[in-house]
Amino acid sequence: MDKIEKILISICPGKFWEEKPEGRWLEIPCIAVEKMAGMMIEAGARLVTVTASPLDTGEFRLIYHWDVDGNLLNCVSTTSRGALPDIVQICPAADWIELEIHDYYGVNFTGRDLPSLMLNEHDRAGIFAGRFQRKPKAGGRP
Amino acid sequence: MSYTIPIGPYHPALEEPCKIQVTCEGETVQDVALSVQYNFRGVEWLAERRNYQQTVALVERVCGICSNVHTLTFCTAVERLAGLTVSERAQYIRTIVVELERLASHTLWAGIAAEVIGFQALFMTCFAVREQIMDLLENLSGNRVHYGMNCIGGVTRDLEDSEGVLTVARNVRQAVSGRLIPLFANDKTVRARCAGTGKLSREQALAWGAVGPTARASGLTEDIRRTSPYAVYAKLDFEVPVETAGDVFARVVVRLLEMVESCRIIEQAVEAMPPGLIHRPGFVEVPRGEAVARSEAPRGELFYYVASDGTDVPCRVKIRTPSFVNIPIVRPMLIGANLADVALINASVDPCYSCTSR
Repeated sequence: MDKIEKILISICPGKFWEEKPEGRWLEIPCIAVEKMAGMMIEAGARLVTVTASPLDTGEFRLIYHWDVDGNLLNCVSTTSRGALPDIVQICPAADWIELEIHDYYGVNFTGRDLPSLMLNEHDRAGIFAGRFQRKPKAGGRP
Repeated sequence: MSYTIPIGPYHPALEEPCKIQVTCEGETVQDVALSVQYNFRGVEWLAERRNYQQTVALVERVCGICSNVHTLTFCTAVERLAGLTVSERAQYIRTIVVELERLASHTLWAGIAAEVIGFQALFMTCFAVREQIMDLLENLSGNRVHYGMNCIGGVTRDLEDSEGVLTVARNVRQAVSGRLIPLFANDKTVRARCAGTGKLSREQALAWGAVGPTARASGLTEDIRRTSPYAVYAKLDFEVPVETAGDVFARVVVRLLEMVESCRIIEQAVEAMPPGLIHRPGFVEVPRGEAVARSEAPRGELFYYVASDGTDVPCRVKIRTPSFVNIPIVRPMLIGANLADVALINASVDPCYSCTSR
């Protein structure tokens, strides 16, 4: 566990792990996503899921949640021009996770095909993003 | 010459819609394509447009089998975000109800597996055991499907009939140990259909991120109740059954043994449950921030991520259900299998399409 954390810190100069009750968090640059996945798989980690959230800048914040011996490591990255490298070749568990994020937010994972998983054939990817992302005032209903 | 058979989205072996497009060479499966979008409801999108109380009711409807564990996990994430401490009695009640739900889910699965195998008498035996659990859940919560037991900060109903819970737990334990396990383990038909079928190696299970009984039947040991305890699991004594064969039979064995452990957990929890409040009064204010929560649902690890911007509506709710990771693994299990085993292998991961599509 400590070894993995040290290795990950080495690809993220100037960053540090943040401790929370449910696990540790680390910001990583988008170019290091594949490197991170490779290290995690080599260390026997399991990809739990990836959480995508839209940012005001038009980019997306993606959190890669990894399980290492029951401990949760959350690696946070941000898309560049709406895209991140895909990690399916390194981690097969990411296959449906990336497809779902593409369906919901239109995030592109470079280096792979992105057929729809949750949408019908003719639906446009990104149904949760853009104009559909606008929310009512707090407590209201859509 | 190869040919393709579209199975589903409506078919007799499963109660939910899913399309499995099987490409065969003779009777051997060469490739598989899965379509799971038929139950897509946009629950995450809806959750980001309802306040926290409304979202509890919403996430309970992600699944009709493991509805309670969804609210438990969502409430746990919100409680972490809000810095709430849940009373010990409420934690015990949560543990008891979530284990009853596991029993209801596993007996349902065992019955369906018996049906797929073609063993009608075993199907009826499983459902007779399940009915005792369903009656108890109805007595405790007033409902047989969506129990409405969890709220942010505790539970909505107290557990008054402790003796009734103990009696059912003991009866179910005896029925599982004395009837279901011998029937499944010793019957030649069950063995012939299940042993060596739908194999998944430990390495495949890890690479594909398998969880729950599917992972533990392939030699992985992780159980969130043990590795990252929540509710009162850290105070209770229970085993985590693990098998190494990685076939359908191993998945049967793991689930049957888990049912015995669930009964033991319920018995201990009822006896150790202290008196006290079951929830905190008043409204809960959720500050700006983000939190995650994980729990061991009947089908495996359930994951919730909740982010708050300080209002009464969550700004992001991410739900990762166990079936979402276990269903894609059916593909490597099916390749090379016999066409006649497709329904059984698919059922062996206990797929929930309602959870998967959300």
